[in-house]
Amino acid sequence: MNNRKKTDQELEVEITQLSSEITPTKDLWVGVERAIAHQAQERSSSIFKRKTHLAWAASVIAAILLTWGALYPQTQIKQAPSNLALMMEQNFEKNKQLILTSYGQSSSKGLSSEAQKQLKELALARTAINKALKADPYNSDLLNLLRWTQQQELDFLQQIYSPQWQTI
Amino acid sequence: MDTEKIINAEELFSQDKEAEWILAAKEGDQKAFHQIYIRYHRRMYALCWRMLADKSSAEDVCQEIFVQLWLKISSFCGDSQFSTWLHSVATNIVLGYLRKQKNWLQKVFSIEEQGVHEITVEMAELSELDKHIMRLPERARLVFVLFAVEGYRHEEISTMLGMAVGSSKSQYHRARSLLREWMD
Repeated sequence: MNNRKKTDQELEVEITQLSSEITPTKDLWVGVERAIAHQAQERSSSIFKRKTHLAWAASVIAAILLTWGALYPQTQIKQAPSNLALMMEQNFEKNKQLILTSYGQSSSKGLSSEAQKQLKELALARTAINKALKADPYNSDLLNLLRWTQQQELDFLQQIYSPQWQTI
Repeated sequence: MDTEKIINAEELFSQDKEAEWILAAKEGDQKAFHQIYIRYHRRMYALCWRMLADKSSAEDVCQEIFVQLWLKISSFCGDSQFSTWLHSVATNIVLGYLRKQKNWLQKVFSIEEQGVHEITVEMAELSELDKHIMRLPERARLVFVLFAVEGYRHEEISTMLGMAVGSSKSQYHRARSLLREWMD
């Protein structure tokens, strides 16, 4: 019993003396650097694609708003206000918070300036659509556009916070 | 007294530097990120090797930790110490890797684990205790490393490994008992 206790203490001493570091025998930085460079390339191409999509979406939104404004004067389209867009926005905010919370974030403020810029552009697009929806609350094209823009923003947040596994 | 002041000053300076590196890395500065790597890669490698008990996997996963860190560093908001946050990120990556590595037989038939590992030539560079930790059966090893080396509580370990708190404690005692036996 006494002998066992001593061994137990010895083990405890060995544990406390255990080094917190082990030096790898090969240089691991080379692989990390290569993977980072690869990521950066992929990112810039995906940002370019996203920007193209956003520019395309903004043009479509502008075209729809202009056409709608020309075809239907404001006085004729006054209808009962719909809560649909509002509900979609509330639902979107909930989903957004859910994503941020699931990745331990209280807001998207800690993101890089590039990511912040992307999110700002998407938010501006949403504001423009919501403004148009106030004048025409039942327009299904506008509602679809709003849903698409919201989805883009959620996908973008997922993409930022949930990095994929890759081989080095 | 003077020595103490010098040590404190060094510590503060080093923390300041680290905060600068983190800030710069968040903005995409790879040189700053390399400094973070230099500071932490040995600790991450030790964590990987002890948890995975395989040198080659430890090298792969250690690299993966830093790639993920590069991608995730912007989400570090400074609520906790950077080293604490990094260890938690790293532990999750290692556990995720282990889950992916489990073969379908283990998943389908819930085969608990393989038996005791052998000491290999690759382990020659390790301390005696480390060599024996590598020999431990997987669950006992993971619990032992997380509790005794990394300082997690059994409640946290049970959540991480999807086991009851009691199981975590018993695996820890099993690990200690095996280590005592082998180290005699």
